[in-house]
Amino acid sequence: MHYFSQSFSYDHSWVHVIIGMWHKYPNPHCSHVVTVDVIDRSVDPSTGVIRTERVLGCKQRSPAWIVKLFGGSEDAFVREISFVDPSTQTATISSVNLSLSQFATCHEKILYSPTPDGRTAFHQTAEIQARMMMWRTAADKFENWLAMRFEQNAHLGKVGFADVLRQLWEDAKDKSPAGTPA
Amino acid sequence: MAHSLEERCTPLKLEYDSCFNSWFEGYLEPAVSVSASSENRAKYSREKAEEYERKCGKIWASYRDCVQKAVEDKGLDGLLEQARTENPLKEPPRMS
Repeated sequence: MHYFSQSFSYDHSWVHVIIGMWHKYPNPHCSHVVTVDVIDRSVDPSTGVIRTERVLGCKQRSPAWIVKLFGGSEDAFVREISFVDPSTQTATISSVNLSLSQFATCHEKILYSPTPDGRTAFHQTAEIQARMMMWRTAADKFENWLAMRFEQNAHLGKVGFADVLRQLWEDAKDKSPAGTPA
Repeated sequence: MAHSLEERCTPLKLEYDSCFNSWFEGYLEPAVSVSASSENRAKYSREKAEEYERKCGKIWASYRDCVQKAVEDKGLDGLLEQARTENPLKEPPRMS
């Protein structure tokens, strides 16, 4: 089991970050995410909580030994469920890999919440675990590789989303984000 | 905005995304500040949920049908079903 976590703050209000969430991709820093689809969404008519289920399609080259061991596709899909609760100003995103899930799972959780000084705290955790059906050495090696790949992508996600938020909200002091159709 | 996993669905997806985004951008800020009383919140949420349905319901239905078919064509429906069984996530998760 590999465990990853990071926390930091975005210099934008919670409302701006959550609006920006839906504009994160496509992103030149995260070119591995190539497709994003909403497969289910509900707006709770009593609480105002929005639940969204998405499938993200990723394309990233894998080392030859991974391809040999687990099959040759570069396409990988992730299921992501988010809850946006305006009453508590909480947004959570949970993700798990659909592809290669018979070999390993990567559970990621993200929390966005406001800070007292009007910024937005980001907290991310991930648990990466190879399933036990493999040889121990292969499982360890695979898990290490997944963890390394996750950390690289997490860093790119941070840089990429900061850019998106800057472009959306910088110089745009009114409520409507810049560069998006009204 | 990113493409759909099925190129055929991308025009529907883009239309749905802009509908949702423009609704959401009007929704969120007032939704945060209305929280004073739970009656106000319920009233605002109901009105806004109806507005979302009115504005985006139709394009959502077309896009959803398209993407559901694409998910099956790509053989993702079984994996998705398994993930939903393991973790339905009908309620927000607890964050440690």
